Amino acid sequence: MPLRCALRILALTGLVLLGGCAGTSSSPGEEADAYAVNDPLEPVNRGVWAFNTTFDEYIFKPVATAYRDYVPEVVQNSIRSFLNNLRSPVIMFNDGLQGQGKLAGDTFARMWLNTILGLGGIMDVATDLGIPFHDADFGQTLGVWGVPAGPYLVLPILGPSDPRDAAGLAADVVADPFNGLMRRADADYVTYGRSVVNGVDTRSRNIDILDRIQSTSLDFYATIRSLYRQRRDAIIRHEAPPEGNPNP
Amino acid sequence: MSLRPLARIAILLLLLGTPLAARGADDASGFISDLGKRAIEILTSPATPADREQSFRALFDEGFDVPTIARFVLGPYWRTASDAQRQEFTKLFEAYIVHAYTVRFSEYHQEQFKVAGTRPEGDTAALVSSQIIRTAGAPPVKVDWRVSKTERGLKITDVIVEGISMAVTERQEFASVIQRGGGRVDALLKLLREKLGEG
Repeated sequence: MPLRCALRILALTGLVLLGGCAGTSSSPGEEADAYAVNDPLEPVNRGVWAFNTTFDEYIFKPVATAYRDYVPEVVQNSIRSFLNNLRSPVIMFNDGLQGQGKLAGDTFARMWLNTILGLGGIMDVATDLGIPFHDADFGQTLGVWGVPAGPYLVLPILGPSDPRDAAGLAADVVADPFNGLMRRADADYVTYGRSVVNGVDTRSRNIDILDRIQSTSLDFYATIRSLYRQRRDAIIRHEAPPEGNPNP
Repeated sequence: MSLRPLARIAILLLLLGTPLAARGADDASGFISDLGKRAIEILTSPATPADREQSFRALFDEGFDVPTIARFVLGPYWRTASDAQRQEFTKLFEAYIVHAYTVRFSEYHQEQFKVAGTRPEGDTAALVSSQIIRTAGAPPVKVDWRVSKTERGLKITDVIVEGISMAVTERQEFASVIQRGGGRVDALLKLLREKLGEG
């Protein structure tokens, strides 16, 4: 069977890559460092990173810059509020799975306040009423449950991740009731459109800070890897309010 | 018998009654509150970027335990580095960190700085939590400062922004540069020199 054959080749390649990298990670001076990063697929990750950087430079960042500079701020904020509100069921579900009853209640209240008083979510009246937005995702939930992150991964277009967060992302997309609704209505393109707008909006809010980090880094890949891993750990510990991740 | 010796004893008892860690924590909180306010003042002042970096460098030298941080961020390579390499690294690291973080934090001007609490870490260190309250309705940024008591007074050994440690980030970045340079500390020194030469 061609498919089975292809899978076997893929599995073998994976093993060779893992084996090849396991060899490099024991270079002198590096042993027993408590702060060593778990990135056995670094050569592959750096390749995907290079692709993402090119994609970002020529498509993603210019679009995000135009969005930031030409779309009126009021509209941008309405779009952000609308997308946040659309995500409420997934956030509430994850709040609950993490045992965060108060946060789940906050999301529940936000969803109804913003949907009804906020005209379908385009206005964030809940924040004005003292219930600010917080995010939650299934990768975080898995982390709260004690599932380890696994090795660092750079996903094409989507950027920094790990097996736990990638699985979490897939679960969140599948579990999202709005996406389900669109699937049944044969309108999957709405789901894709939502992801694209979400990505552009997030990128537009990170243009300056990512530029500044890139220009002052010695190794931008290693810096973002470190920032991503530490930030995800903090989010799982619930020490700080979750925000969007840098996603170049 | 005059009251003086009695008063002295009373003060002594009062001091002994206060747990040492708690007193250290109060000091640490005031220390951070003062430094934070001065940092925001520098960011808000209408100085040129070069002047601003100069002011930050003075503040960094005064408030941070540069030798300890330098040793930490070099990680296992500190042991393998020669004395000359260690010295040059400490000097370059200081200049690099001041430059990088002056640029990265340049958006935090006109903001309010507030110390939120202090937690002792052992006998000689404390973690001071603070918040940078932002103007544009954005959520406040949580910044924790790890402060140690040294023979030169209180010094900062790490800054943790929203759960991200500056020292850990630099340690991991530097390790990557050294590994990619074939495990040689010189590869890092060369890149630092180049980066700082850019101006």
